[in-house]
Amino acid sequence: MSTETTALKKTKSIWAGGFSPFNVSYGKLMMWIFLLSDAFTFSSLLVAYGTIRFSHPSPPHGQVVIEGQIIKPLGHVPDNFVELLGETKNAEGVAYFSKQHWPSPELVFNHFPGIHGLHLPLFFVSLMTFILIFSSVTMVLAVEAGHRMDQNSVRKYMFYTILGGLAFLSCQAWEWTQFITEGASLHGNPFGPTAFAALFFIVTGFHGFHVFSGVVLNFIIYLNAINGTYAKRGHYEMIEKVGLYWHFVDLVWVFVFTFFYLI
Amino acid sequence: MSESHEQHINIGEGAGVNPEQPHGTAAIWKTFWILFALTIIDIALYFMLSPTGIRNGLFIILGIVKAYYIVGVFMHMKYERVNLIMTIILPILFVLGLIMGCLYEAHYWDGIGINID
Repeated sequence: MSTETTALKKTKSIWAGGFSPFNVSYGKLMMWIFLLSDAFTFSSLLVAYGTIRFSHPSPPHGQVVIEGQIIKPLGHVPDNFVELLGETKNAEGVAYFSKQHWPSPELVFNHFPGIHGLHLPLFFVSLMTFILIFSSVTMVLAVEAGHRMDQNSVRKYMFYTILGGLAFLSCQAWEWTQFITEGASLHGNPFGPTAFAALFFIVTGFHGFHVFSGVVLNFIIYLNAINGTYAKRGHYEMIEKVGLYWHFVDLVWVFVFTFFYLI
Repeated sequence: MSESHEQHINIGEGAGVNPEQPHGTAAIWKTFWILFALTIIDIALYFMLSPTGIRNGLFIILGIVKAYYIVGVFMHMKYERVNLIMTIILPILFVLGLIMGCLYEAHYWDGIGINID
């Protein structure tokens, strides 16, 4: 039989019909093409961010000194931190928050829920990153359980994935609330250029909407897994397709994290 | 009927899993720890190095390495056929052109004192 297969391969092009040239099902291929187009959308948003970011001078270097005190991670921060940094100037005579230059992300995103008055730069957003990576892991474990036709494990891991997605969305809601409470909006920003806040809301909002859509899709396939739809169908490929989307959302967050919070 | 032949004619949903793909959860957890460690390195670099182009370059390299593990292992891209990989990866190169053009423009705007706001 194997000689016949070889003969078939020699005479027929893989595009001649009869099998998938990509060796994946129609649905999976379409999900990949959709993700490619979505990657272009997110790239455009992030490139717009980069363009506007680098059309401004970079934030001032070095230690932040307020009223003679150096602000350190885990150190105390005064209540009127944002106003103080708008007035306090560093050794070169530049205010830490100014319309003239881009703000330093560690000075903007330094809060943690339930902890007040401590300088915790990037702690919360790192936690959000770990939550999303972890929910990606539970998703891929659900896919793996689907290959084994293990309905109980699929249910368990899909449940954890949904929890991770909801946890991430809650974190983002808290982060937005904090940022808005401090005076940021689409048309105003006490930390510096207005575009910084506007881009923050647009890019993290677009990503957050993707996470929300992902949670809805995850919930639908979770219900299907509970009802035994995939066990009856004989395969769990729907978990793989939604999984591709979910990992893509995680992938986008990797770059949002890099460009918004680190660079 | 040989295994490979069966693989080729099965084009519907739930088509066979690629035999080269590792089974079990060990590879998944290994990838998780790699991604975890790379993120920790990101944060460490942020606080250890001063903000320069070199630090930004390291962040971008680490981001691409993380993307390799997410797309390659979690999304199983590593085990797909080469024509599918190229269909998805090559168009991304267009983004590189956009990045280079826009960053060049941004530095020009900065140089002549235009801040887009």
